Formats: sequence, C-alpha cells, structure tokens
Amino acid sequence: MKTLIIIPAYNEEGSIGSVIADIRRHVPEADIIVINDGSSDRTEEVAMASGARVLTMPYNVGIGGGMQTGYMYAKMLDYDVAVQMDADGQHPAKELPKLIGQTARYDLVIGSRYVKSTSYRSSRMRRIGMIFFSKLVTLLTRQRFTDTTSGFRAAGRKVIGLYASYYPIDYPEVESLVYLKRHGCTITEVSTEMQRRQAGRSSITPARSVYYMIKVTFSVLMSAMRYNRTAVIK
Amino acid sequence: MFINILSVSIAIAFLVIVLELVRRQRLREQYSLLWILFSIVLLIVSFNVSLMEWIADQLGVKYAPAVLFLFGLLFCFSLILHLTIVITKLTSQVLRLTQEVAILKAREALYGKNN
Repeated sequence: MKTLIIIPAYNEEGSIGSVIADIRRHVPEADIIVINDGSSDRTEEVAMASGARVLTMPYNVGIGGGMQTGYMYAKMLDYDVAVQMDADGQHPAKELPKLIGQTARYDLVIGSRYVKSTSYRSSRMRRIGMIFFSKLVTLLTRQRFTDTTSGFRAAGRKVIGLYASYYPIDYPEVESLVYLKRHGCTITEVSTEMQRRQAGRSSITPARSVYYMIKVTFSVLMSAMRYNRTAVIK
Repeated sequence: MFINILSVSIAIAFLVIVLELVRRQRLREQYSLLWILFSIVLLIVSFNVSLMEWIADQLGVKYAPAVLFLFGLLFCFSLILHLTIVITKLTSQVLRLTQEVAILKAREALYGKNN
C-alpha cells in the first residue's frame, strides 16, 4: 500500500525536522512530502535535510491551496493513502499506523481529540466553537462527529480524487467533511493523542476567530446545499 | 443649454475612449460591448431630455434625474458583481496553475536529472 504523508508548512523550521524524524521512525515505508507554502525561513532546507521531499509554492497560497496541492500530488503519483498532518508537532506520528489501518474500511479517517477523553485541553472559547461545529456537521450529515476541526486525517483513493478536484481555500477542515459526505464517502473518527505545538503560534487570533466562525458556518451551509456538484474549474 | 452640450460631449468622449481602448487591445471586446451599450444609452439620454422625463412620469417619479441615478447605480452594482465573479474565477485559475507548476517543478527536481 503506497502511503504519502502530506505536511503543509509555513515558517515551521523549528518543528519540521523532528516531525519528519518521528514519522520516519514510526512509518518508515511511507513517503513524506512537505508543502512549503512560501516560507521565508529555512523550512525547505530543514525538511530536505530530514529526508522529506519538498514541494515549494512560489508564493503563500494559504492552507487550503497548499493541502490540495498535496492531494493533487498524491493523485498524480497514484498513492493509495494520503495522510495530512501538521508541521507544528501537535499530531504524534505514533498514531499514524492506527489512522492508516482504518483506511481499508473507510474513505476518510479523522484523528479526534474527543472520541475518548485524551489529555488534550484547550481554552473555553475554542471548545465552544468546536462543539458548535460538531453539532452543525452532525446535523447536516446525520453522522456524529466529535472533532470536525482536526487536521489529522488519512484519506483513501476516493477522497484523494475528490480533494484534488475541490478543496476549500481557507479554514478548510469543517467544510471538507460536509463536501465528502455529499459525495457519499464513509468517514470515521479514531481517538488520538494530540500534543501542544512545539513551535510557532496558532493562526487564530480573537479578531480572526469571529471571521472564522462566520466564514466556516456559511461555507458549510453552502456546501450542504450543493448537491453532488463540485466547484471544479472549467 | 450648456448642460446638454456638456452631457453630449461627455457621452461622445466616453464612447471614443472605449473604442480606442479596444483598438489598442487594452480592453477585451467581450467587456467593451457593455460599455459601448452604456455610452450609447448615455448619448440618447443626453440628446433627449424629454425621454427621461417621460420615463420618470411613467414610473411615477416626481424628480426625473432620480431615475437616471437609479439606473446608473443599478448598472454600477451589477458591473461590480460581475467583476467579483471574474476575480473569483481568475483566483481559482491562478491557484490551480500555481499548484501544477509547483508539482511539476518538484517532479523535475526529482526525476529531471536522469532524463
């Protein structure tokens, strides 16, 4: 089974090296591609030195565009499984075999912080937001989701194809789930440990979180109303 | 009637500028048709003030120039909406292009030296 680990990275020189080393220790057979989204630091050099392939975007295209590039790459090179994980070290590589293993039975496997109680703790506002999105997606897809904003996911061939043709541009996690459900994919959540980020800061500031809530809610509703139609460029 | 001469010359100048932009290939024919239509309407209205008054009367508008403002605004709004649609399309096309170029460059770095 050909497996690709996709790591989008924007100025993550402080953590990318150990993230790649961890992956190579736990799943040595998987290929690793770092999507260097126009970083201004040494992300590219560090990632290459750690033994990953690096795909450098000519300018910063944002998380959605970067992630989609990884899926396009996976589709082009005919991978069976593509796993997306963060470059900041919050997704532990030791959980990878668990995620990858489930792709035999499901189109998408999400590493969730909340299926069982794990050691993950977050701020109250963030929890409220996450509960809101979980309820919204559960309502729209009629499937129970606990962690819709998790960016720790393993995708099979069907999802790789769907994501290569359409992926939301910013704050993509929640909408991309509804999109998959609209296209008849099976999704499951597995409980995974998550760690505090090793370096860098969260991109979500208080001012942005208002925009985040509105934008994501709106695009999720729009996605739910878009019956089996993909926003592919003609 | 100074205002008549002024509005007619503005309409004509506008039409000439649009045609000149198309001739110099600074404006696509596709978009220019809309502007040509707009300047012709402007020209007709400038020549024929009573037409405007007649339309206002039919619509029950007491102040005739208000009709002009209404249609002018509606035209601007729909044009801006159209432009944001075009920008959305361009943005997705540029993104797709960027992604494909990035992938091709990475693959060339990987395999290129062997060929």
